[in-house]
Amino acid sequence: MAYLNTDSAKQNTFDAIIIGSGMSGGWAAKEFTEKGLNTLMLERGRDVKHLKDYPTTNMYPWEFEHRGEVPYDIQQANPVISRCYAYREDAMHFFVKDTEHPYVQDKPFDWIRGYQVGGKSLMWARQTQRWSEYDFEGPARDGFAVDWPIRYKDLAPWYSYVEKFAGISGNKDGLDNLPDGEFLPAFPLNSVERHFSKVVSGNYTGRNVISARCAHLSVPQPIHTEQGRVMCQKRILCQRGCPFGGYFSANSTVIPWALKTGKLTLRPHSVVQEVIFDDKKGKATGVRIMDTETKQVMEYYAKVIFVNAAAINTNLVLLNSKSQRFPNGLGNDSGVLGKYVAFHNYSARISAEYDGDMDLMTDGRNPAGGGYIPRFRNVKKQETNFLRGYAAGFSASRWAHSDESGVGKSLKDNLSNPSLTNWKVGSHMMGETIPKKSNTVTLDPNQKDAWGVPLLKFNISYDDNDAKMKQDYFEQMTEMFTKAGFKNIQTYDSKQAPGLDIHEMGGVRMGNDPKTSMLNKWNQMHACNNVFVTDGACMTSTSTQNPSLTYMALTARAVDYAVSEMKKGNIT
Amino acid sequence: MDRRTVIKNLALVIGGAALLPSCLHETGKASIALKKINVSADQEKFLADVAETIIPKTTTPGAKDLSLHLFVLKMVDDCFSKNDQDAFMSGLDKLKADAETRFGKSFGEASQAQRESLLNELEKKQAENQKAQGKNAKKPADADDRLTFYGITKGETIYGYTNSKYFMTKEIVYELVPGRYNPDYPAKNFKATLKHGLS
Repeated sequence: MAYLNTDSAKQNTFDAIIIGSGMSGGWAAKEFTEKGLNTLMLERGRDVKHLKDYPTTNMYPWEFEHRGEVPYDIQQANPVISRCYAYREDAMHFFVKDTEHPYVQDKPFDWIRGYQVGGKSLMWARQTQRWSEYDFEGPARDGFAVDWPIRYKDLAPWYSYVEKFAGISGNKDGLDNLPDGEFLPAFPLNSVERHFSKVVSGNYTGRNVISARCAHLSVPQPIHTEQGRVMCQKRILCQRGCPFGGYFSANSTVIPWALKTGKLTLRPHSVVQEVIFDDKKGKATGVRIMDTETKQVMEYYAKVIFVNAAAINTNLVLLNSKSQRFPNGLGNDSGVLGKYVAFHNYSARISAEYDGDMDLMTDGRNPAGGGYIPRFRNVKKQETNFLRGYAAGFSASRWAHSDESGVGKSLKDNLSNPSLTNWKVGSHMMGETIPKKSNTVTLDPNQKDAWGVPLLKFNISYDDNDAKMKQDYFEQMTEMFTKAGFKNIQTYDSKQAPGLDIHEMGGVRMGNDPKTSMLNKWNQMHACNNVFVTDGACMTSTSTQNPSLTYMALTARAVDYAVSEMKKGNIT
Repeated sequence: MDRRTVIKNLALVIGGAALLPSCLHETGKASIALKKINVSADQEKFLADVAETIIPKTTTPGAKDLSLHLFVLKMVDDCFSKNDQDAFMSGLDKLKADAETRFGKSFGEASQAQRESLLNELEKKQAENQKAQGKNAKKPADADDRLTFYGITKGETIYGYTNSKYFMTKEIVYELVPGRYNPDYPAKNFKATLKHGLS
């Protein structure tokens, strides 16, 4: 700080600093600025402005040089990101290439990243479900991790709060294992999805197939119009950025909202090296960054700091924030920082065919993707040989199929005259994994990146519980498919590494006890009360829901608490 | 015609000529810039004739009209491994020579029926190989570069054709902005949906 004169120190001082501009950081920016705080949002990547920086959004398939394919050399040089389903020619500019930001894999981990303003909220799959009481009570009931310091009732009003603003489509299904929210009209199931739904709920207690709930504006409300967003146009080209603002992204929704207050300073190209802890003052005073364009190292100061760098990078920032008080990483009295990292098991799929309802097809595209099967295993009590359970997607569609055999005029005619297939149905598993002490991220002792930050080492793997759960998914889905009259049932084990689910969580977990957790029930560090973590790193357990909605709700709740604590003088 | 108009027209002619790729590229070389594979004008012409045999001009545009052979070259250059590229080029040369031996003239000069029979033979062989491959999941012992060439060329020609602006606006219409999702649509309307936008 010695090299800064008082003026520049003042210039670099804010009420709040947010590290990261994605799903949760974007929400923190909206909440802080609406409450009148001068806020600095730091983003390690480049700026991506809504509408302006979506270069491929209105391109037709024939306008892509390789008609969608990622060139061979890029795939060879970047095997991890090339395994991501959305890494295609139309959106590859929003994903981090392996070669650009290396990391160390003691065990294989497919780390999928989006380094830009908006982060992965630009390319996410937009599925949004609330957690239920059964999810929050999981660790305590089943004896793993630590007890969540919050329950459903603590988060319910905040779910409502973020749902209304973001715009979530869904039905009020009345299920206690998947609470209803503030919904815009759902995207309806098609006839075969309804058929399956009827078969499942008719044959099983506690099993349901519902319309997938998603962050799309099926019917925009005045609040969405005010954000400049209009009705989802069912393009399903979301990963390119949406010219209609039809789905929620930080770029289309919360960041412009925050900027409109005049209270937000958005600083892209800013890699945070560490959160600065002042041993004398006994609190965090700011952050040290490197500007990736000028390579200049700078400091920014604030009363409160939100770390929303995306789960794994939040671990990295905190592990690298060392002081006399915290030699093992900021707030890490318990020694659990970087441990108990968990994820979702997405390695199983099942497909089949159905010859019923042949008089029907679908027209247009379904942004929700079809149906959702909330977790039905071990919900109210332990009933299988594995802990917890899985949710599943389910969808049915008919395809236009052309005979591509032969050459010449007949082939040409065939290509223009496809036939409609029977119904193809499919499901994918979203399994809860158990956070384990041995699943860790740590700092590599020797290697640093181009911005002076140590490389991260991954030591994360599946376990026996995951294998048993996957077996059960195959068995149960096969049974349900059979009851529904589906044929040619095929199970598929992708054997993919952890990470490709893009639902990595934990390492900075919440808990009641400072001896075994990093954060209290307000996402506030037990040991450093002006630092909060509200992205995936805070998750004590993973349950089966797509996590983003929960991050949004936790963030809005934590900012509300932080600001009230600042007003009371408890955070200074 | 006054002098000014003459100059303007002349400029147009010159400008137009400058746009013709054949006037720009080195004699004997392929007409598009390629980074890895080395393709001669002669090889390019053969590829164009193969692509045209696969998707011939009828009352609607064919492969040459849509430059699908150039798309095939672009894809081979950018989206295939070195092994595949080598096999593609060697298979191309072998098949080109086969045609000349069999027809006593170049592939392009042969009749559509002759050209189709040659390609259909490859297709048959390819199907047999795939069937055998399915059984023991091993690469067939008689891996033939001609089949690699044909497989890539046919696949990419069809891909280029069905993803062309022509095909996606006139044959099976692609909608960028459907604006609708109807979960229960009569299947008897399937053919009509192809023309108003298949999603």
